[in-house]
Amino acid sequence: MKEWIMPYIRQHKSRIALTLLIGLLGVGSGAMLLFVSGYLISKSALRPENVMMVYVPIVAVRAFSIGKAVFPYLERLVSHDIVLRILASMRIRLYRLVEPQALFFRSRYQTGDLLGVLSDDIEHLQDLYIRTILPAGLGVVLYAVVISIFGIFDISFAVMMLLLLGVIIFLIPIVSYHVNRTHHITIKKRRNQLYQQLTDAIYGITDWRASGRTDTFLQSYHAQDEQLVQTERKIKSWKHLQDIISQLVVGTSIILVMIWATVQTGQGVFEPTLIAAFTLMLFSVTDAFVPLADAVSHIPSYRDSISRIKKMEENAELQVNSNDEPLAFIEEPSLKLNNVTYHYPGTSTPILCDLSLTIPVGKKIAVLGKSGAGKSTLVKLLAGAIKPDSGSITIGEQTVHSGLLSHQIGVLNQKPHLFDTTIGNNIRIGRPEASEADVWKAIEQAQLSQLIHSLPKGLDTPMLEMGSRFSGGERQRIAFARVLLQNTPILLVDEATIGLDPITETELIQTILHAASDKTIVWVTHHLAGAKNMDEIIFIKDGAISIHGSHDKLIKENAYYKELYFMDQLN
Amino acid sequence: MFRKRGLPTGKGSLPFYASLSIMTFLESVLIIAQASFLARAITFLFEGAQIKEIGADAALFLLFFMLRTILGRWKQYTAERFADRYGARLRTKLVSSYFHTGHLVARGFGTGRLVTLAIEGINKMKGYIEIAIPRMVSMAFIPALIVLYVFFIDKISAAILVFTVPIVIIFMILLGLAAQKLADKQYETYRVLSNHFMDSLKGLETLTYLGQSKSHEKKINHVSEQYRKATNKTLRVAFLSSFALDFFTSLSIAFVAVGLGFRLIDGNLTLLPALTILILAPEYFLPIRQVGKDYHATLDGQVAMKEIESMIDLHEEAQPIQNPLSNPTDIQLDKATVHAQNTPILKDISFSWSGNGMIGVVGPSGAGKTTFIHMLAGFLDPTFGRIFVNNSETNTLNRADWLDKIAYIPQQPYIFPATLADNIRFYEPEATDDAVWNVIKQIGLYDFVQQLPNGIHEEIGEAGRSLSGGQEQRIAIARALLSNRPVILLDEPTAHLDIETEFEIKQLITRIFKNKLVFFATHRYHWMKQMDYLLVLKGGQLVEKGTHEQLLEQEGTYHQLFMQGRVSK
Repeated sequence: MKEWIMPYIRQHKSRIALTLLIGLLGVGSGAMLLFVSGYLISKSALRPENVMMVYVPIVAVRAFSIGKAVFPYLERLVSHDIVLRILASMRIRLYRLVEPQALFFRSRYQTGDLLGVLSDDIEHLQDLYIRTILPAGLGVVLYAVVISIFGIFDISFAVMMLLLLGVIIFLIPIVSYHVNRTHHITIKKRRNQLYQQLTDAIYGITDWRASGRTDTFLQSYHAQDEQLVQTERKIKSWKHLQDIISQLVVGTSIILVMIWATVQTGQGVFEPTLIAAFTLMLFSVTDAFVPLADAVSHIPSYRDSISRIKKMEENAELQVNSNDEPLAFIEEPSLKLNNVTYHYPGTSTPILCDLSLTIPVGKKIAVLGKSGAGKSTLVKLLAGAIKPDSGSITIGEQTVHSGLLSHQIGVLNQKPHLFDTTIGNNIRIGRPEASEADVWKAIEQAQLSQLIHSLPKGLDTPMLEMGSRFSGGERQRIAFARVLLQNTPILLVDEATIGLDPITETELIQTILHAASDKTIVWVTHHLAGAKNMDEIIFIKDGAISIHGSHDKLIKENAYYKELYFMDQLN
Repeated sequence: MFRKRGLPTGKGSLPFYASLSIMTFLESVLIIAQASFLARAITFLFEGAQIKEIGADAALFLLFFMLRTILGRWKQYTAERFADRYGARLRTKLVSSYFHTGHLVARGFGTGRLVTLAIEGINKMKGYIEIAIPRMVSMAFIPALIVLYVFFIDKISAAILVFTVPIVIIFMILLGLAAQKLADKQYETYRVLSNHFMDSLKGLETLTYLGQSKSHEKKINHVSEQYRKATNKTLRVAFLSSFALDFFTSLSIAFVAVGLGFRLIDGNLTLLPALTILILAPEYFLPIRQVGKDYHATLDGQVAMKEIESMIDLHEEAQPIQNPLSNPTDIQLDKATVHAQNTPILKDISFSWSGNGMIGVVGPSGAGKTTFIHMLAGFLDPTFGRIFVNNSETNTLNRADWLDKIAYIPQQPYIFPATLADNIRFYEPEATDDAVWNVIKQIGLYDFVQQLPNGIHEEIGEAGRSLSGGQEQRIAIARALLSNRPVILLDEPTAHLDIETEFEIKQLITRIFKNKLVFFATHRYHWMKQMDYLLVLKGGQLVEKGTHEQLLEQEGTYHQLFMQGRVSK
């Protein structure tokens, strides 16, 4: 847990010290407001001759009352600023961690939303500072200050208060943490279970209904929820007890301070006017101590977030094959795969085995195969995202690596993400320095100009605003324009038309083939739409090429292909 | 502040409010008692009394102080118990409404939202009941009783305390509005900035393929910095309202103290009442400050409660079944119309069919094919028109005796996180392993299941072994097959599959569902020759119906669609 907290505390120690100081001034003002008020009315009760005798306390009372409001306001601003700074550093750290693994998330995690969860975890850690670290820090510093003040007058009383208030500052929070830790873990676990169960039930709602077993589900769900409530109740009961003990300490301290102040008066150290002052002050100070136990009790919930992020650090074994060598100009960017074998770490059978293929400049190849046959792996290999176990992949003379992306290789992937910014920025994202004319040329080629001209804000239209109005085909065209703008000689297309209706699909295929007529295209696809327009078609099966040839040749010679084609062609 | 709207009602709520009120009243008395005895002790000590002389006062202070604490916790405990009971009741209603309100997801409620509402929503509402409501009750009683007591001791102090409240409220409202205005103004920028990181992570794959993932780090840094500055600016205004709360309450205490001082000097007042008032002044403001601080949590809770209640209201009681449907052999729709969000999706659909057969539902995207299947599956009720099953009329197919007869297979069927066998016998939990093996053979998964380490008892779904789209589809088919349901509803079952798998599934479906009534929505026209009858939808209307050959001869919409699909290849 430390690695995700301590560096940031160290990095911002002066700001944190400032927050604590301001916080202290805030609590101090509150305490002094009551202290001086107590003194003021005690002094006034002695009926001084002149109002001027209490002039200083009158001014002080007003000043402290203002301080009591101003300092907490400043403290909140400063502490939020610190947290936002820490958040920024943590985001960069998380980004550096996941960036090299980017292409492996989808294959490794089913839901694919892991990244969203991680981002939430980082956000959640903000609360650790605001709710736990800073209040706990303030509580401890305040405790030290209060004890020191007593210490100036009377060491033995200071020790007594040290022990008594120590119950609220240390004993109760620590006991509370240990008592509740297992409960918090249980709650977290049960809540996740409930989430999972309900999500499953809703996804499968039709099946539940059709099965006629909804009551079984409802009963078991209800029973589980009751268990969760029981555990929550345990935490709450403990909180009641903890509060009663804390208040007992507070009440006792108030009486002790009152008696102590009286004794000091008897010894002539204080004037009697300070009895009320000290007693009232303690009300305000102890108010700041009580929330400490609560602050500490949140700790288990952060552990979870941190452990998830740490897990990400551990499985960094899959990394994009990057290479920092300078990019040379490639005269003839033909693609060559020589005896390429690849298997994913942790699996025994290779997904691609001894695959060889040459794709001359400008050739267009369709790659088919059942899901899991290795089509997407082939795209990752060609994109230089992963390194083959053996064999080589070259463009011209150069071995493929991820640094060639956007220079030699453009990729239109299955679900290209459209970012939450304007359409223009989305198109430019792959080549931010592109000129206006280049952008429009890409738009023209992607056959988007009509659509974009029809928008009142044109390229400056926010993507989100249009999110629901853009159809699947239009979204793909925007993504395509973005890839076209990179002007790469090689284009990899990974199932870019999946989920589109046949007419939209055909139109998109034609747009892409037309715009990229001079490019080498490797097109991974799940059916034969557009097959006729490709130079070659290959099928991958069991890690190797099982069918290979032009459409015309296959339709004549391969019965299986013919059968598939006629099924699809009727489409 | 004590609004009726958004308060829990129903069983047990009146005794709850009554007991809260009584406890709060008692609490006020204890607060006043505690303050008086402490003031007495201090005053006597100040006047030179011996410590043991004030023993009784000090002990009574501690007693009332502790009684007040215990009563406060008891009040809290009561509220928690009520919140638990109320929460449980609402949760049961809510979750069961999910199951009975037809297909909520089809109505545009996302799964995420439904789950969040049932878990987070209920929690927020409980938080509101257990924290905000007791505090609102405190605010209604405690300040009033304290100020009444103060009024009898010193009218001027009471006046100061009373006048502070409207000032605090006015300033909080004004500053709150200012903050809201500022927040509204920069909402859009703010949203983009705060989502930027999440958006970047979600688009990381795309960024990598575009070769921009490395340089994007700089952008994240830059945006975080902008976000921090924008947030700081907003917070400066947003925190002002709680500043106003602190400022005016503590200034008011200062005024009370100074005023008491003057009156003491003038001899119009003695120390004991003055000290009592000074101890009571912070207690007077405490409930007001707490309610002010909880304002947002309160709003959240009320919003959640309203949303939950409106969701439960959607829940239509399943109609009692008067004449249970026997195995459907005869289905008739008469001018069936379906609306979603007040727009008609299907208009005046009339059609009838008797006996088994495969009925294709075709048309371009957006024609209403899925809605048609959803209506047959009972997810959506027709807003107008009539449905007859075996010649008996019903206004909804969302009824148990119909749901028993159908199996619904969507484009991506849901695989429960359970064993393969339990997934297959989901409709028929009593089915034996042998029966399961039998259907596995029929759907062509025998070889696959045989090589699994645990055979049919292998865990599949989210947490277990992941299956390919084709395998998932086969499991859904097996589920329908084992249950032996007479009506099968298929919604684009092969649209997302690769062509080789589609080819296999096609052969499977045509063979296996031969003696059933099948409704099959698809835009893949190669299925057409397998269909016994076709319904052609366009813009929500049934434009043509008939067999493949008849429709081709008509040279209408179907012919056009069919040829378009063919020529474009």
